[in-house]
Amino acid sequence: MSPSVLICDDSNMARKQVLKSLPEEWKTTAQTATNGAEALTILRDNSIDVLFLDLTMPGIDGVGVLQGIQKLKLSCNVFVISADIQPEMQSKVKSLGAKEFLQKPVKADVLINHLQQHGLL
Amino acid sequence: MSEFHLTEDQQDCLQELINVAMGQASDQLARYLDTFVYLKVPSIESVDGKELISTLSQQQNTMAVVSQGFFGYEGIRGEALLAYQEEDSGRIADLLGYEPEELSQDEQLIDISSILTTTFLNVFARQIDNQMSYNAPKLLPSVQNSLSEHLQQMTFNWDLALKVNINYQVTDYSFNCNMILLIPETAIINIKNVLDRILEDF
Repeated sequence: MSPSVLICDDSNMARKQVLKSLPEEWKTTAQTATNGAEALTILRDNSIDVLFLDLTMPGIDGVGVLQGIQKLKLSCNVFVISADIQPEMQSKVKSLGAKEFLQKPVKADVLINHLQQHGLL
Repeated sequence: MSEFHLTEDQQDCLQELINVAMGQASDQLARYLDTFVYLKVPSIESVDGKELISTLSQQQNTMAVVSQGFFGYEGIRGEALLAYQEEDSGRIADLLGYEPEELSQDEQLIDISSILTTTFLNVFARQIDNQMSYNAPKLLPSVQNSLSEHLQQMTFNWDLALKVNINYQVTDYSFNCNMILLIPETAIINIKNVLDRILEDF
């Protein structure tokens, strides 16, 4: 069975970019959220296995979502996909529990590679 | 609404391209300055070019404006303006780490503006399979209307302006600057075509 997937990004194009890069069988069931608050609601009410998370969003940003996940004690594999690639930011999200930091725009082979490394494929 | 107006999808696509460009340019800038620079990904809005020019022209006595032209393939071109509040322009020397006698304040402003403009636009261009060339950056005299005079010398209609607000925070001080990309009407159509091509892939 394919895992339950959530893509959170305020940009429609960025969400589609991630969706397009996913393994074929994941695409049909993937959910999307356009901001951090929406993502946290979905995360709380559903059991989400894999979250692809943007950092820079209005309202609750990606860092806020990571903190929310810790607070709610959710077990979820988080892959941060962001344009803010400064090393400080990368180590910050990893310290907040993100599995990987992927640079925008995300490429399908890179994403698949990371999913394999973490035993999700 | 005119033919130069971006659709919602085009706006979203452009915003994402700019976010990526800004993120990478910020990272390059932080490395160039060899110090920790905290940069927020900027807010972006598209505004009426003519209105913006008239507003900026009126405020010019309290601002420093550096202007630099850019042009790529497929008729994509424009003028990048970096606008600093007067009280902030003095801090740039500290940020760049220049000795006082090394370069004048004007030269420092031109220097950092050019780094910002070219790193940003190079990353932007790479994403759309383009490549930019640049004119020499020019610091406009801080008197009213020097900006509109400068822009009138070029024979474009400045219909669309992309206003990108950049905020820098360096350990002990922070300053703001606005990066404004003025795009002439002919280039807007070309940009819209490029955006549509990218959107087709989705």
